Amino acid sequence: MPDVLASFINLIPVTIAQSLIVAFVVLGVMIPFRLLGFPDLTSEGAYPLGGCVTGVLIASGYDPVFAMAVAACAGFLAGSTTAFIHLRFGINTLLAGILVMTMLYSINLRIMGRTNIALFTFDSLFKDINPENFNDPWFKIAVVGTLIAVILAALYYLLVTERGTTIRAVGASPDMAEAQGVSIWSATIFGVGSASLFTALGGGIMVQSQGFADVNMGFGILINGLAALIIGEAITGRKTVLRQLLAPIAGALAYYQLVSLCLSLGLAPADLKLATGLFVLIMLALPALRRGGNVPQLREKIRE
Amino acid sequence: MLEVKGAARTFYAGTSDERRALAGIDLTLNEGDFCVVIGSNGAGKSSLLNAVAGKLKLDHGSILIDGVDVTRLPVHRRARFISRVFQDPMLGTAPTMTVAENMLLADLRGKTPRLVPGLTAERQAVYRDRLAILNLGLEDRLDAPVGLLSGGQRQSLSLIMAVSNSPRLLLLDEHTAALDPKTAATVMDATIRTIAEFGLTVLMVTHNMSHALECGNRLIMMDSGHFQLQVATPEKDTLTVPDLIERFHVKSDRMLLQA
Ligand SMILES: Nc1ncnc2c1ncn2[C@@H]1O[C@H](COP(=O)(O)OP(=O)(O)OP(=O)(O)O)[C@@H](O)[C@H]1O
Ligand SMILES: [Mg+2]
Repeated sequence: MPDVLASFINLIPVTIAQSLIVAFVVLGVMIPFRLLGFPDLTSEGAYPLGGCVTGVLIASGYDPVFAMAVAACAGFLAGSTTAFIHLRFGINTLLAGILVMTMLYSINLRIMGRTNIALFTFDSLFKDINPENFNDPWFKIAVVGTLIAVILAALYYLLVTERGTTIRAVGASPDMAEAQGVSIWSATIFGVGSASLFTALGGGIMVQSQGFADVNMGFGILINGLAALIIGEAITGRKTVLRQLLAPIAGALAYYQLVSLCLSLGLAPADLKLATGLFVLIMLALPALRRGGNVPQLREKIRE
Repeated sequence: MLEVKGAARTFYAGTSDERRALAGIDLTLNEGDFCVVIGSNGAGKSSLLNAVAGKLKLDHGSILIDGVDVTRLPVHRRARFISRVFQDPMLGTAPTMTVAENMLLADLRGKTPRLVPGLTAERQAVYRDRLAILNLGLEDRLDAPVGLLSGGQRQSLSLIMAVSNSPRLLLLDEHTAALDPKTAATVMDATIRTIAEFGLTVLMVTHNMSHALECGNRLIMMDSGHFQLQVATPEKDTLTVPDLIERFHVKSDRMLLQA
């Protein structure tokens, strides 16, 4: 037992660093689901897209920050494509997301030209800032933590401005928003685009942290993101914009510690996706099982 | 002010299900007109309002507001001229947003939203005053999510939202139909008072015959996409409910019941 505990405690910093990076993805899952009423699966493709673009550019000698900026733009494009497919052709948001995610797999392969690239020998955001100690988890925590804090602060400011309020209105009630003069098109394209931008950024940071990019790195990331979001919302609640914005980061931190604990207690890594899937399923099913419980709900009124 | 010229819209054209919602309608509203639209179910009343609001595309015809052709403008671009209260209390407000945020959205109608904080203290004070008119205590619940309000409270809020900012044209589609008689009367009262106060131009659909006779200076009766009858004051003032029912062969039970 002490062994188990020791290995779990040893892993805490590494796990925190990892969760902070994945928090970008959870943010990218939360924004369409919660703020725009647009359940979106693009993340599963936008995350490796961000990783592949960043990886290829860094391996070609570009500056890591420039590489991440390009990755973020690529992510925005992916998300806004999903939004466009839904808006223009009236295709269900989930199906639009699956279409984009599937097409992105080929695109990601094309971008990299192979299934993975090793980046250990190249420049990275972390090496740029601290060449000596770039692999120290606490250092990574500081860098990524600062970045996400700045992004969350900016997002919070945006969401309570006049424009941000109109964007949230589209998610809360499209009919009402439209009648108040809000363009559903621009709010949705901007919102879903931004969400995938954050997801791709997460992918771009992750490849620099782990030292390689892989086209398959997105597999299952969406369910991880959802699981983290559900846990986060159980912690922070959803009553205010601020709480809703803090849910992804709180959720990512809690979720990955939970996973790490399960693994050190002997859960086989192979069973991890099954366990995560069952967890999400139970959380989604709970409200139906016991009516009136205040379990965070993901199944809500959804745009057709 | 509002001109509807030859507005026509047919659903499922060329099939056995063909439905003529609007069969080439002409309507002109002058500044300050309060026009009531009645007619049996499926007569095309909502279609008329939806066409004016931009929610319903026309097959033929055009719509002008203040002389500007808006026929091709989408709903959100027409919002700078038009505000509306829906029949369904759930549609007109954003349930997960607070009362104050909903008021803010109405306040921003027709303006370009800026990147500055939305709910300032001054604005909240203004909204508190506006809501106080209703006497429903909403002024003390600015931070409550609208989803927690009753249907009547939500509909009253929709009304205040719709008339804030003095829209050029106000569209009301059976906006008291979903409410209990007492609340309906309160909301209708507030409607009539605010319309008079701001001198708004209004197009209002109702199934309530006495409202139709008491309110407004013009009355239109629709039937299968046509205007079956149009009267204006002073002639309108002489009409009575039995008049309407007998003279114009209204056979809607719902109207009789509500008369
Ligand atoms: N989206 C739609 N698709 C198909 N048919 C429609 C649609 N909207 C309206 N219609 C048809 O157009 C006709 C007019 O409908 P409309 O809703 O304008 O009637 P109404 O006068 O508002 O009736 P009510 O008093 O019941 O509200 C009806 O025959 C209706 O079935
Ligand atoms: Mg109707």
